[in-house]
Amino acid sequence: MSNKKYWKSLEDLNNSPEIIKKAQNEFAQEIPLEAFLGNDALNSTKTPRRDFLKFLGFSVTAASLAACETPVRKTVPYLVKPEEVTIGISNWYASTYDDGSDYCSVLVKTREGRPIKIEGNKFSSFSAGGTNARVQASVLSLYDNERIQSPAKAGNAATWKDIDNEIGSKIEAAAAAQAPIRILTSTITSPSLNGLIADFVAKYPTAKHVTYDAVSYAAIRKANMQTFGASVIPSYDFSKANVIVSFGADFLGNWLSPIQFARQYGVTRKLNKDKKEMSKHFQFESYMSLSGANADVRVAIKPSQIGAAVVSLYNAIATKAGAATISGAKVNFDKSIAQTADALWNNKGKSLVVCGANDANIQSVVNGINAMLTNYGTTIDMANPLNLAQGNDEEFIALVNEMKEGKVSVLMMLNCNPVYSAPKALGFEAALSKVPTSIATADRKDETASKCTYICPDHHFLESWGDASPKANTYALIQPTIYPLFNTRSFGDSLLTWMKNPMKYQDYVKANWEKKMFPLQSAEPMFQNFWMKSLHDGVFELAANPISTVNWNYDLSAAASEISKETGSELEITFYQKISIGNGTNANNPWLQEMPDPISKITWDNYITMSPKEMEKRGYNIIHEKEEKMNTVNLTVNGVTIEKVPVFPQPGQAEGTIALSVGYGRTMVGKAGNNVGVNAFSLVGTNGSGLMSYHSSKVSIADNSEKYMLVTTQTHQTLMGREMVKETTLSEFRKNGKAGNHTEMLFIADGHDHKKVPAHTVNLWATEENPGFPKPGLQWSMGIDLNSCIGCGNCLVSCQAENNVSVVGKDEVRMNREMHWIRIDRYYSSSMSKEKAEAEKKGVIDMYHEMEIPEENPQVVFQPVMCMHCNHAPCETVCPVLATTHSNEGLNQMTYNRCVGTKYCANNCPYKVRRFNWFKYFENDQFDFHMNNDLGKMVLNPDVTVRSRGVMEKCSMCIQRIQEGKLTAKKQGREIKDGEIDTACAQSCPTNAITFGNIADKSSQVSKMKEEDRSYYMLEELGVQPSVFYQVKVRNVEGHSEAHHS
Amino acid sequence: MHTINKALKVFFKPFVLIAVFLTFNVDASYSQDIAAGEKLFKINCASCHKVTDQKLVGPGLKGVAARVPQPAEEWLIKWIKNSQAVVKSGDAYANKIFNEYNKSVMPSQALTDDEIKSVLAYIANPPADTKAADKKEDAAPAASAQDSSTVLYFLLGLIILFLILISVLNGVKNSLQRLVNQKEGLPEPVPVNYNAAFLKNWARTNKKIVALGLIVIVSYGAKAAWNGMMGIGIYEGYAPEQPIYFSHKIHAGENAISCVYCHSGVEKSKISNVPSANVCMNCHKAIQEGTVTGKKEIAKIYAALDYNPEKDTYGPNPKPIKWVKVHQLPEHAYFNHAQHVTVGKQECTTCHGPVAEMDTLRQFTPLTMGWCIDCHRKTEVKMADNPYYTKLHEELKKTYGKKPITVSMMGGIECGKCHY
Repeated sequence: MSNKKYWKSLEDLNNSPEIIKKAQNEFAQEIPLEAFLGNDALNSTKTPRRDFLKFLGFSVTAASLAACETPVRKTVPYLVKPEEVTIGISNWYASTYDDGSDYCSVLVKTREGRPIKIEGNKFSSFSAGGTNARVQASVLSLYDNERIQSPAKAGNAATWKDIDNEIGSKIEAAAAAQAPIRILTSTITSPSLNGLIADFVAKYPTAKHVTYDAVSYAAIRKANMQTFGASVIPSYDFSKANVIVSFGADFLGNWLSPIQFARQYGVTRKLNKDKKEMSKHFQFESYMSLSGANADVRVAIKPSQIGAAVVSLYNAIATKAGAATISGAKVNFDKSIAQTADALWNNKGKSLVVCGANDANIQSVVNGINAMLTNYGTTIDMANPLNLAQGNDEEFIALVNEMKEGKVSVLMMLNCNPVYSAPKALGFEAALSKVPTSIATADRKDETASKCTYICPDHHFLESWGDASPKANTYALIQPTIYPLFNTRSFGDSLLTWMKNPMKYQDYVKANWEKKMFPLQSAEPMFQNFWMKSLHDGVFELAANPISTVNWNYDLSAAASEISKETGSELEITFYQKISIGNGTNANNPWLQEMPDPISKITWDNYITMSPKEMEKRGYNIIHEKEEKMNTVNLTVNGVTIEKVPVFPQPGQAEGTIALSVGYGRTMVGKAGNNVGVNAFSLVGTNGSGLMSYHSSKVSIADNSEKYMLVTTQTHQTLMGREMVKETTLSEFRKNGKAGNHTEMLFIADGHDHKKVPAHTVNLWATEENPGFPKPGLQWSMGIDLNSCIGCGNCLVSCQAENNVSVVGKDEVRMNREMHWIRIDRYYSSSMSKEKAEAEKKGVIDMYHEMEIPEENPQVVFQPVMCMHCNHAPCETVCPVLATTHSNEGLNQMTYNRCVGTKYCANNCPYKVRRFNWFKYFENDQFDFHMNNDLGKMVLNPDVTVRSRGVMEKCSMCIQRIQEGKLTAKKQGREIKDGEIDTACAQSCPTNAITFGNIADKSSQVSKMKEEDRSYYMLEELGVQPSVFYQVKVRNVEGHSEAHHS
Repeated sequence: MHTINKALKVFFKPFVLIAVFLTFNVDASYSQDIAAGEKLFKINCASCHKVTDQKLVGPGLKGVAARVPQPAEEWLIKWIKNSQAVVKSGDAYANKIFNEYNKSVMPSQALTDDEIKSVLAYIANPPADTKAADKKEDAAPAASAQDSSTVLYFLLGLIILFLILISVLNGVKNSLQRLVNQKEGLPEPVPVNYNAAFLKNWARTNKKIVALGLIVIVSYGAKAAWNGMMGIGIYEGYAPEQPIYFSHKIHAGENAISCVYCHSGVEKSKISNVPSANVCMNCHKAIQEGTVTGKKEIAKIYAALDYNPEKDTYGPNPKPIKWVKVHQLPEHAYFNHAQHVTVGKQECTTCHGPVAEMDTLRQFTPLTMGWCIDCHRKTEVKMADNPYYTKLHEELKKTYGKKPITVSMMGGIECGKCHY
């Protein structure tokens, strides 16, 4: 057993009596039985028992009689069936998710012509089969019935013909009058669309394309322009880095290209008996980000200190390299900086320093550090730059000023929502009102589109043709997987129409590929074949340009002096993106709204995170309980005030700082996302270099007397204080592969004496003489590597899409009724351990006492938990109706139509993975989350039952995929190939942390994984023989066991 | 007394007769020559004629005997044996018909006079209505399944009726006896209700039999109720009317078209699929008229596709055909055709019955879980020739030895195989 003390939340740590009481109950809510039965009104009703029985009997008879009639169901076949469609069999199409902030190469599963699931495309070397939660959830956004269903003029539906005529003439008029036409878009990586916009600009020379991203990375391009003369963002390769240092860049969650980076990072975190090396990750940040939670060493600093931290790291390395130092303020965590510098210097050329600050000066110094470490040419590739994040803040601000002056005559907007996402201080909304012709191409009447003259709705990406190029020499195609649901039109087609070009955008893309991409290769001599192959693969990748080193001859002293001007304050704020909602584009997606934040585990809200110590000082409530409302404050940043923002205690939050996520507080996105949280974008300001600054020192908070309920999936479903995460350190692991993975021992009777035996050898059910039922051939098993799991929650949404998991809404989550089949437990740990106590000669009482002291900067561990498919399942033995049974393939099966909802199984489950349907969540307007309309229901997987009220449900290990995979093998008359059958969670895991397969096959990946020393079963001592195993988490923390407390 | 008894006997006679009549199931089928005529008609005439007044190639034959020159039989025999001879003979009616049908020649039929007479007898007594006949034919097997129980109920009802009658008549007899006795001055019979007293006495002395009888009656009632309840949701024999009168008998039976030709998904997918209308058109672009329903039903396919058979063009207004689903699996159950047909090598008829003999498709099997499981318990897995099972079979042999491996031994009756 691990000797660390884990706690799931502060209440857990403080051992509050509520928690202890709750730990005894499966369902935290008391069922108001007494109140109901004790109601006198019930006795005095006019319906006495006899009448009731009469009515009951009558209705039962009536129902039975009604059931005798054969229900007439119609079956409507295709009139002319498309050749590629076989009803009941899915078709897969390769496409690309590229919404200007996330890029991912995907495979789209369609059934009878409707997309129902998105998975990673392993043909892509860029995203390499990974996805994130937002990509997974995008399929639900397709079926959002609040999308605008036709073009509109001044808010009223209009025809394309009328609108095209008007817009066409306005463009002509503007061009004739030499008046500026502006095309404002988020990042476009599409070679074809960029080409088309260039054509447009060539035809109408007063037009200009301005790129604006809601969350900007402009500083990186600007810094590279300054230091290397190229306005690019290089490619990063985390997989080649032995030491990773991040200053406030959440590269696993949101920074630049998180899916790609997570995959690379995962490679460096893999350990096995042949590979005992892993990367070391330092994170300097103010709020607890996903990357920070995964870091080996996390240093909590104020956002204003990032510049100083980068400068002092530069100086520490410059000293080692014998280069000139630059001037900079001393930081109070120089010990950590020195340790970081040592680690980096020892891994010269095999390290990577990244920084999240949108400040060109700081980014320049970071470039200097990487140059000194000779990382250019290994982990940083300037020769194959990324095409992502092209947003140019300066041009955008200039455009807004131009608009304010009334100069812009036509403004087109694609894939951006600046009325919502631009800083309030910039006054975009007022500026927009001065543009005579404004055209939005948004998919809904959102904050910006509603204020535009015309709305020319664009397709959803699953309805579109297009292409993309996330980085140099890497191309991808977007192909439609469904006929457009509404009267929408792709932006490319709109532009072509307005340019009076009769071509279709689809043909334009194809022609562009014929002209530009086709000649780049020689494998396919015919274009049609090349086109079909590219469509099939979804990607077309050329050999990368040879990676090159750089010459560093940039003087950083000016940058250093700019950095030193940054002064902090008592209270500073950081704005960040949540992994679920991101920049808020998909805020009307209930899957994303209900997905718990990986760190706080809060759903359906954003909130100020503050260190518990500071909250206590301010007298705020730090016990985040189900029924406990949180304090709220009025937050003023950069002169803009938002009232009534709840405050949440977040361990790891740097003292004197708060953080608030953007993407919330939408007002015109739809029923699911409207007025959820507050809009932090409005508070964003600009920094000295004229770029958007996602932190600020001009913060004040004032107490608000109102309190607010935040709901979380965290404090319930406790594991009764039992420990199930095992961890060790890298040096221990090198010495002994089984480090941290102690076998649980159990006392059993031995004649008149007792003896200690390994817990897993004790078996209540089967004995050697009676081994139970035969288990031939297939035994499904799943391995989860806690060392490479980053807790991003992709698996959770992937599972939700695959298995028709319901969304229950904020109020139901509050009552512990969320339905997710897989949860990701997040545990904070305290640095006190038994070894440490022994070394420090601490007594047991002192040790336990210290284990309970709240850590200000705790270590974090993530553990995905789904049904363990116990081979001796406690749930099966208590079910009175045999609704949950075991298969001979090792699966714990749940038969919904047998279940009568006693919930005994959930009570008896040691892992608390069973979910009860308290309500009918579909076709029920009480749960207005797309499943109550015909359009939304199109996303449902037809191979999985939609569970109704009153039944228990849980992870089935994607039994529908297992059965499908088996059948495919049977039909083809061959054995199942390892890796052919994959669960939804495992398939798209960006770090490949989940492995699924047949453990009876000794050559399978999962079998080999199981043989590793790090493998263990959670709560093995219970003897339930789970089918899911974990691998011990290893921390690379030698000499850094104590993170610095700033 | 004798007179009364005699009267009673007379009174009972009809009942006895009814009972006798009922016990012999009188078959009211066609007489022999009509049946033979039907057979001959179908072989020789049906390709051009219908027994209704509907025209096919030649005229509809309803009431033909009344139309033709009399004596009809003689004339018709001549005409059928050699129509051209009749035409050439200058027969006015023959020439009129010949010209009316664009001088298309009715081929001479090599039939004997008796055979022709049989055919004419059939034409004179055609089946009431094609659809009705089909329905009757279809309903018959389903009814036969219920026959035994229906007869039983009927007899039971009769017995009860008779018992009531006996008791009533007994009462009448007693009253009459009393009147006779009064008139003749004889002492009155025992002034008690004879029947009730007798029954009471009998019951008192035969308690065991009464108890047994009660148990039998109650159990029988319970069983009937139980069967009734269990039958809820089972639609065996369900044969709904379809929007197009499509006959599997003609397609799969007479024309012997393979099931998979139309139900192409059956070997690949979970759904065997109702064929799309373009599959119908593979044949029905050429075959524009059916043998039973003529152009009427095929025209519905054309209407669905908005196809104009004369111009051979498709219009812009197709309308999907809304077939009525016949086989409805119980809810929450997953079934895969490919697993059963391709892997399990099951015949379609195992579950769907003699489809090739059905004009209107009928649910042949109950499609209940018990029925599924029963088959899974009995059916051997087709392991030979499928390498998927090779290793698995080796392992299973360790447990089961040489016993044949059934589906259930491999986990084929586990819940999760069909419910997820």
